[in-house]
Amino acid sequence: MILINSIKTVRIKSVVIECANIKTISFHMPQNKTDKYPKPKPGQFLMIWVPGVDEIPMSISGCDDSGNWSFMVKNVGECTDALFHLNIGDFIGIRGPYGTYFSLPSKKMSKVLLVAGGTGIAPLHFLAKMLIIQKIQTVIIEGARIYDELIFKNENNKEFSKILYCTDDGSYGQKGFASETFEKVINEEPSEQLKELTVYTCGPEEMMYKVFQTCEKRNIPIQASLERMMRCGCGLCGVCAVDPVGLLVCKDGPVFNSKTLREMGDFGKYKRDMTGKKIPLN
Amino acid sequence: MLEVNLAGIKLKSPLILASGILGVSCSLMKRLSKAGLGAITTKSIGPSPRIGFKNPSIIEIQPGTFLNSVGLGNPGIDLFVSEIKDFKKNNFPLIVSVFGYDNQSYIKVAVKAEEAGADAVELNISCPHSEVACIGIDETLTHNLVSQIKDKISIPLFVKLNPNVTDIIPIALGAEQGGADAIVAINTIAAMTINIDTKRPLLSHGSGGLSGKALHPIAVKKVYDLYKNIHIPIIGCGGVTNWQDAIEFFLVGATAVQIGTILYKGFKIIEEINEGLQNYLKENDLKSISELIGLSHNFTTQEVPNDID
Repeated sequence: MILINSIKTVRIKSVVIECANIKTISFHMPQNKTDKYPKPKPGQFLMIWVPGVDEIPMSISGCDDSGNWSFMVKNVGECTDALFHLNIGDFIGIRGPYGTYFSLPSKKMSKVLLVAGGTGIAPLHFLAKMLIIQKIQTVIIEGARIYDELIFKNENNKEFSKILYCTDDGSYGQKGFASETFEKVINEEPSEQLKELTVYTCGPEEMMYKVFQTCEKRNIPIQASLERMMRCGCGLCGVCAVDPVGLLVCKDGPVFNSKTLREMGDFGKYKRDMTGKKIPLN
Repeated sequence: MLEVNLAGIKLKSPLILASGILGVSCSLMKRLSKAGLGAITTKSIGPSPRIGFKNPSIIEIQPGTFLNSVGLGNPGIDLFVSEIKDFKKNNFPLIVSVFGYDNQSYIKVAVKAEEAGADAVELNISCPHSEVACIGIDETLTHNLVSQIKDKISIPLFVKLNPNVTDIIPIALGAEQGGADAIVAINTIAAMTINIDTKRPLLSHGSGGLSGKALHPIAVKKVYDLYKNIHIPIIGCGGVTNWQDAIEFFLVGATAVQIGTILYKGFKIIEEINEGLQNYLKENDLKSISELIGLSHNFTTQEVPNDID
């Protein structure tokens, strides 16, 4: 019997260097009948344990039919730095898959726009692959700090209708945040064209909040994947609670829809630290 | 039918949220209060903000059984006062779990909790993976702390016992004689788990406290023993996963029951337990939970048999 809340140690199977400070790490999860983990869905996350360092929530960025799962790590802190320096064959611990996931549009709502900021691209990368299989018309807006950190440019992208890039420093594509490019795209679209559109977003929360506001103005349904500090990942510690609704990002999220985002006063403004204290997002 | 009177506090259900689970923000506690509980216990709050131990700090090690070493992470009483005040606008029973580093800091936190509107204070002298546990292993230290806090607050004082002791009875008696209004039994059992691939403990702190399913029969035995020896109400705590587990606690002597770990399965379980309790009372022609308390003590149990010659 598998326990998704217990730590399963696995060896790192492959490492893809996306750029100087971002890597995609893959590992294999058991597939035999008695030991089979639930197949992750785009938007779900894992608690990744780096032995002797820490354990942090990470979005799943990919998963194939033979049980190879992957996540994307940007070297930004103590634990991600440790992850970044692990090699093929090293042990990491896995809990999950956890949380809610992006629900794919019904066949009629056949147009999709993905808005990613930074490593927010990870779950949207997973979603994009799914959308291709479903033959859903997909436009991607990817924003990053600099050209090197754009992930989708490393891929064979012929399957997507369009990919728009933007960078904070203007080194590639539009200069500015993904939310700004998104607003421009939406404003140029006639209202008729927006009727069949669903937006999915992940990235810095201020960016997602702006994308959400743009969607609200034009009545476009959105699903956003949020990030919070977590201990348990499974609805016990309360550190990831968002006010004033008391929803847990680990269990009620991380993916929330327009209706829930509207009720979420903390969205785009506050998070909690490991003491449980409420603090501004940045 | 499920109403209980716990040390003067009226609860609409005997189910209380256990300390350390979710009780860190007003919004979340409000959501839980609407899920069918009779009262909420907050996370243990100390005199100042505390980060606690690094992850992994909460993991499942057997189905329904968890190991944790959160290490009393909390925002500190001064910040938490506003969460208490906000929550109390809803007029729902709130127990604030408190800890300190010495008697004076325990008193300071308890007094601030009362001033903010807490209905009761639960003393954490038992966290098994933190320095505060030292009080809970000694009857005199427990007695002194309880009586000093009782002098300073007028709301009921509950004492949560540390099961990691040779004999829990003298410590419970120390708390009772110190003026405690109820005993919470039990906190988690000190435990450890090793990952054999990396050969190191899974918890960042090394060891932690065992909660959930495996703790239940141990807690039932402690409540059974306590009921024979103390007179103040007992709140059963440890591995309640269904209504049958809760009934067991009442039968061995609990007045109310705390639930915690099982909430990893969602809040729906609370109403399921309430419903199960109600049905059990009806089927047994009982009018209230209080009629159940201690019924299992009516049976004589077999003594150690003599050797056969």
